[in-house]
Amino acid sequence: MDLKINADDLNACVQCGLCLPHCPTYRVTGDEALSPRGRIHLMREVQDNDAPVTTEVVDAFDTCVQCRGCEPACPSGVPYGRLIESTRAVLADTGAVSTRRQRLAFWALSRPRTLRLGSTLLAVAARLRLVPERLGVPTDLPFMRGQRHTSGDDVYLFTGCVMDAWQRDVHDAGQRVLEAAGVGVTPTGDLAPCCGALHTHAGLGDPARQRAEATITALSNDDRPILVDSAGCGAAMKEYGHLLGTPEAAAFSARVYDIHEWLATRLDDLPTTAKLDLCVAVQDPCHQRHVQRVHDATRAVLAPYVHKIIELDDDGLCCGAGGAFSVLHPQLATDIRDRKVDAIERVSPDIVASANPGCSLHLAAGGVEVMHPMQLINQALHQRT
Amino acid sequence: MPLFRSTREPIDPLVADLTAALDADRVRADGAQRSLAAHDASVFDGGIAGPVCFPETTEEVQAIMRIAEQHGSAVVPRGAGTGLAGGAIPLGRPVVVSTGRMNKVLSVDTDNRIAWVQPGVINLDLSKKLRPKGFHFAPDPSSQQVCTLGGNVANNSGGPHCLAYGVTDAHVVSLEVVLPDGQVAVLGGAEDETPGLDLRGAFVGSEGTLGIATKIGVRITPNAPAVRTLLLSFATVRDAAQTVSDIIAAGVVPAALEVMDQRMTVAVENYVAAGYPTDAAAVLLAEVEGLDGGVEIDAARIEELGRANSATDVRLAGSEKERAALWKGRKTAFGAVAQIAPDYYLHDTVVPRARLADILEQIYEITDRHEVTVMNVFHAGDGNLHPLLVFDAREQGTLERVHAAGAEILRASLAAGGVLSGEHGIGVEKQAYMDELFSPADLDHQNRLRQAFDPACRANPGKVLPMGHSCADIQALREMPTGVWG
Amino acid sequence: MSTLTSTDRALHDFAAQVGAEDPIAVEGNRTRWHLGGPLDELARLVEAPTGIVDYQPSEMVVTVRAGTTVAELHETLAAAGQTSALPDRGGTVGGAVAVGENRLDRLGRGSARDAVLQVRYVSAEGEIVTGGGPVVKNVSGFNLPKLIVGSLGTLGLIAEVVLRTNPLPPVQRWIRAERVDPRDIRDALLRPGAVLWDGTSSWALVEGHEVDVDAEVDKLATLADIADVDGPPELPPHRWFLSPQGAAHVDTMTDGAFIASIGVGTVWAEEPPQPAEPDPVAAQIAERTKRLFDPSGRLNPGRRAGA
Repeated sequence: MDLKINADDLNACVQCGLCLPHCPTYRVTGDEALSPRGRIHLMREVQDNDAPVTTEVVDAFDTCVQCRGCEPACPSGVPYGRLIESTRAVLADTGAVSTRRQRLAFWALSRPRTLRLGSTLLAVAARLRLVPERLGVPTDLPFMRGQRHTSGDDVYLFTGCVMDAWQRDVHDAGQRVLEAAGVGVTPTGDLAPCCGALHTHAGLGDPARQRAEATITALSNDDRPILVDSAGCGAAMKEYGHLLGTPEAAAFSARVYDIHEWLATRLDDLPTTAKLDLCVAVQDPCHQRHVQRVHDATRAVLAPYVHKIIELDDDGLCCGAGGAFSVLHPQLATDIRDRKVDAIERVSPDIVASANPGCSLHLAAGGVEVMHPMQLINQALHQRT
Repeated sequence: MPLFRSTREPIDPLVADLTAALDADRVRADGAQRSLAAHDASVFDGGIAGPVCFPETTEEVQAIMRIAEQHGSAVVPRGAGTGLAGGAIPLGRPVVVSTGRMNKVLSVDTDNRIAWVQPGVINLDLSKKLRPKGFHFAPDPSSQQVCTLGGNVANNSGGPHCLAYGVTDAHVVSLEVVLPDGQVAVLGGAEDETPGLDLRGAFVGSEGTLGIATKIGVRITPNAPAVRTLLLSFATVRDAAQTVSDIIAAGVVPAALEVMDQRMTVAVENYVAAGYPTDAAAVLLAEVEGLDGGVEIDAARIEELGRANSATDVRLAGSEKERAALWKGRKTAFGAVAQIAPDYYLHDTVVPRARLADILEQIYEITDRHEVTVMNVFHAGDGNLHPLLVFDAREQGTLERVHAAGAEILRASLAAGGVLSGEHGIGVEKQAYMDELFSPADLDHQNRLRQAFDPACRANPGKVLPMGHSCADIQALREMPTGVWG
Repeated sequence: MSTLTSTDRALHDFAAQVGAEDPIAVEGNRTRWHLGGPLDELARLVEAPTGIVDYQPSEMVVTVRAGTTVAELHETLAAAGQTSALPDRGGTVGGAVAVGENRLDRLGRGSARDAVLQVRYVSAEGEIVTGGGPVVKNVSGFNLPKLIVGSLGTLGLIAEVVLRTNPLPPVQRWIRAERVDPRDIRDALLRPGAVLWDGTSSWALVEGHEVDVDAEVDKLATLADIADVDGPPELPPHRWFLSPQGAAHVDTMTDGAFIASIGVGTVWAEEPPQPAEPDPVAAQIAERTKRLFDPSGRLNPGRRAGA
């Protein structure tokens, strides 16, 4: 079967195996089929040698969290993200992987009012303990969300879909931090309701491209920087150039910054204040560390506002959230999270900072207290003295 | 084409027995799984793997061994599959025993300075776990971030820092081993000297042909308080090699002495951007460890000897970050070559240090003649060469040229008084060369050692000893699967 | 062609002397003659060839024939500022390898079995067999040297070995320390040559660059009452093989005098050791090994490694 993978991309892997320990599913199973090297071998067998796509092969591809922790670990520069995205898109197209549930769930993402209504209902259900625990839905979802306001036109703050419904307080914190640095902020709100990251993740190529095109169109009336406080969204938007393959998309991607990345070059603009008396463990979201590779910026921005930043000793191994992964593969996601929770417990921080909504929810469901770095900074800036 | 078709064979009685002993989840007989188990990190095509088992306890490994024996199957152990000599590839449809689920550090005994581990523990994970206690596991193969301690034992693995500390066999005190007949033997112990034959020592480096280690007691080494890492640049490879000889002759025993030639340095720098000089013909990475005063003296001595051999630049790593970057470059060197060509063949020979420069010149000459690109990165302090032949196997005739050049390099190393392998082992890669290093009587005695552990030749057959010796003659079973899940 | 298959007159003469028929043993200087049980009286005695064959200090390896005394070997090595891990008890190199005991300063010099890179022995069939290789790092084939070290000549009669050498430290100081737990000395020193304990006093061999030795001794002075001494204490005759932690508690196991090697586990005691309980399966492998290497039982008859 043609997985539509570029032959040179596929051949770049020399099977050295250095990726294995950086793969969360390999780490918890010890199973080569659930490793990057194993998956690439299976891609070759399927694409080059016409090996049959059996349930085990589908399972190998389907269980990839797409954290892309293998990419920075690869000395050969194998573009694994491209390989697995292409593979999953082909499998989704041929019906080898059922995407009906995801398609249904994702349908709401670019319909903000539906999403917010659904989210409020979910919040009620969660309070009433009507939602199965394995879905990891937080029991303290907000019923109400504050009003968004535009404070200027220096930058866009991309607010997205699920995060805007579930964690709008993070956007609010990010906006207040930016404003404290003298930056005028336009939250994108319903203007660009969904970046399509979750669709790309699930191999839903066409809807992903539609979301990307809509987002680009909506935010291309000027060339303001677009700041993103969700690592997953930021990574996807930075890859629009590859996804759509147009110069407009590439130009758009060049305007996208992780909010910490952007602030890290403007540290002098941020006010100084008393530090929060907290030891903070930074949990790097995979799409910030492995894809955008801007995780150092989080530390640079956060450090002046907290007592101490503590590093985990797990080389940025994925926490198991991975878009819809934790819902689709709850057992693997839980096993992977257990490793992360162990790593967190080894350094016993006061709190964990994570710059991605998926990671926060997943870790919170594992009993870890998590805040977004922007929330911590905002708290430091606005603490009562 | 049918989707969702599995090639699982539910009626296979071997699989049924294994499944009864473990559980269905941990005995995998599907084609995809077996295709994966047919390969390691070497260039050698696998044969056909039998079922792949994921035991979690010694008892389960015993059960697998006994069931395999009842069914007349061979057994091949598999760690992370990073071996470069084909030691883990299956020959003769063996049961594959993956140690992936035996990955617990059982205990760390700082009083005796021993860590007790299961074989699937990753080398670097152990050192990371020991760090807060002030210790590490000294052997550090380049693949240490992924390779397992069981694999280290099987291959008697080395690594850059084995120059001062010795290779794996100097760090393994005890082994619990499941023999091919399912019995458990405990070899060695926490005692420094154990009376009787050193079967522990004989087991280390036996490439899975004597049984499967299920519990390993390793020595843990205190972290040195002071480290100095120097990067010396040279205008010729010969100057670098001479510096290495001079350092050892001066009585300095650095923790590591690593050399990379220019092509290698360029590829590595492209990946890590650690500040390696890309214009030098060779770089020498030297590290000394110990107490503050002594490392200053040793580092100064190394710099002096380097300059005496016309070093064009000597740089001292100024921070731990800089040091880590330099080492990351060195340790990922092999993978970095994929930037140049999609395939590589990494050789591994040892020559007396004094012959390093001569052999390197021969290697360049041999590879030029065969029109093969060579890059060199090696443990210079041990005389352990790693010529890396890079190529594109899709080009007609390339593989033949690569093998021809490799054979000449190997013979040149033997002619210089060297050996076949410093740390990768023989596997299937160098079996055919064993009788160029050893006499028939030598090989016969090696075979006797193997038979003392495994009289029926069921542990990883077809490896190490050349054809013609028992346990090696299973060539008939080497079929190549193509395009199907075997 | 590798040097391993080169012919060497002295080795061939030795092999011819050993032959392939009758019970036989090698006689060195008899410093450990009693080990492994009494030798069968029928055994014919031969002597191993002598002489240092090749020594390249910059390679840190030496090729030496088994009949050479350890003292002679170490004299040659010392001239180049080096030594080996073999103990010098007045015996031969072959004897030291066959017995496999470690030196008193084992922490500093490493173990005897790790020092043997290559071994050549005469087999029960009278053939010269080579195991290992003449370089410091080698995984070519099965590890016959490890099997031969400590085998008491029961698998083959050692003719020649290639040993790893190591540099002598620039400075070595023996320190005696009172009123201190010897394990604290062991933990305080980064790389001591030896730490010994007799139940009351401790001794430490501190070695390395002068500046480091001074710093380490200063550190000891903060832990204990210390004094420089000429060397280690006298060692009682019997060797016990304990774990490092066991050696640190040996005072609870014997009323007699002892010297314990802290961090190593070996103890020299007035009393003979309790017989060790070997692992039964390992013992079976050892027996099979002996039968495969020496089917007629002609090599060192009466002796058994570990007995």
